[in-house]
Amino acid sequence: MQTLPVNGADMAYLDVGRGPPLVCVHGSLCDFRIWHGVLGPLSNEHRVIAPSLRHFFPAQWDGQGDTYSIAQHVSDVIGFIGKLNIGPVDLMGHSRGGHVAFRVAQRRPDLLRRLVLAEPGGELDATLDPDFVPGPSPLAARIATAAGKITAGDVEGGLAFFIDAIEGPGAWARLPAAPAQALRDNAFTLIGQARDNRPPFSKADAEAIAMPTLFIGGARTRGTLPHVLRTLAAHVPNSKTAMIPNTTHPMFEQAPQKFCEIVLEFLGTP
Amino acid sequence: MQTLSVSGYDMAYLEIGQGRPLVCVHGTLGDFRTWSAVLGPLSKSHRVISVSLRRFFPEHWDGVGDDYLMVQHISDMIGFLEKLGDGPIDLMGHSRGGHIAFRVAQLRPDLLRRLVLAEPGGELDATLDPAASGPAPSERAARISASAEMAKAGDIEGALKLFFDTIDGEGAWGRLPAAPKQQLRDNVFTLIGQAGENRKPFSKAEAQSIETPTLFIGGADTKGSLPAVLRALSAEVPGAKTAIMPGCRHWMFEQAPLEFSAIVTAFLRN
Repeated sequence: MQTLPVNGADMAYLDVGRGPPLVCVHGSLCDFRIWHGVLGPLSNEHRVIAPSLRHFFPAQWDGQGDTYSIAQHVSDVIGFIGKLNIGPVDLMGHSRGGHVAFRVAQRRPDLLRRLVLAEPGGELDATLDPDFVPGPSPLAARIATAAGKITAGDVEGGLAFFIDAIEGPGAWARLPAAPAQALRDNAFTLIGQARDNRPPFSKADAEAIAMPTLFIGGARTRGTLPHVLRTLAAHVPNSKTAMIPNTTHPMFEQAPQKFCEIVLEFLGTP
Repeated sequence: MQTLSVSGYDMAYLEIGQGRPLVCVHGTLGDFRTWSAVLGPLSKSHRVISVSLRRFFPEHWDGVGDDYLMVQHISDMIGFLEKLGDGPIDLMGHSRGGHIAFRVAQLRPDLLRRLVLAEPGGELDATLDPAASGPAPSERAARISASAEMAKAGDIEGALKLFFDTIDGEGAWGRLPAAPKQQLRDNVFTLIGQAGENRKPFSKAEAQSIETPTLFIGGADTKGSLPAVLRALSAEVPGAKTAIMPGCRHWMFEQAPLEFSAIVTAFLRN
């Protein structure tokens, strides 16, 4: 693959199409391939650049070391955009990748033109959620259990535990073989995820995002993600929100044409 | 993307992993993304090079032009392997890409080390199938023509449904998830090219002339003529091995990526 050297490691990326650059950041257990369903429509109007974050496939990581964290990945995306050397870019992130993109926008607004956050992952602190309880997220214990199984060599068991914890009992077994294999290719990142060290979003964080921002989600997503999305959207000053009917968290895989139509319209607005 | 200039056309390809090169050729309506589900397991022991043939995505082709031909794609693949210049390489093709790989092996055995044909597409002539209809177009060819007419007339969904259901059975297109559907849709205008691609049937003498060690691999539940073509060819290619994967159909490497990769890797290792 094409790579750029960033912070001492080679970041692999897929680069398709011509036009204003759009950098796409995948979420947990995914990699550059997660965008395959939207590459066609998006690359009709944009140069689509889909990196794999450090330690994700095509890397074959063993889970060792302390270079998997939100801070590392934010720093890597900042370095990556700088190395592209093409001026400000549009940045899109999904799930944990949305969290990374949000933090990039916070730290380096000069690098970005527009921001698309597809159900960004994260917690809300007390300034955004009166019920906030400091400490590790409720998911942390489950990630630690899954990571323990994977470290011990039980990759299937670790993935099954993690996916079932998020999507409900039997979800891993029901997953079609191709998407399951993509998760398996990234199983070792769950070991890093156990020490992701992700700080919660604050009201001041959200209010500081200056560039035009699109929040996009699935109308049928369950759990905390829709609440996080709506709360952030209420505080990011120059933001729009679009919820795609009949879709859940992987909304761009479930409705690629609708997703692209919304994103392209947002990015094309002068 | 990475590209190699072949006969005046920049052929895009994805390259992942280290080791002996394994070049993968997609079939009808596919592109370099076709092999996504097996990139992980195969790239553990191989440098996997997944090409997009002329006129397929990432090009956004409109179906106008006369260089979508079987002979052109065969010549392009030969040129690509020559440009790659890594000595004899392993070549794998799926469906129409299997037809191309077969023809490359026929024309230029010096370029190849091993050959993997995953349900190669094509017709059998009278030397392989006494019931062959002769020069009259097959039912499959007629369906391709009908699909091409629908695509030309702007009925994209109709064209895709007709083609896909022909290969994978009635109702298969309707059951396909949205993300893989979109990737086929990105290539819909290649159906227009394919209607005039001028593909020759396989003959017994051709199959008998393949010197490269060859693996035929297929799905036990594949519909239509593909299994008969596979069996007829594998019976005549000297020393060919055959593996039929239980519970799988034509896109067997998406349906059982680990099993597919294990079979292919074992064959390439010996």
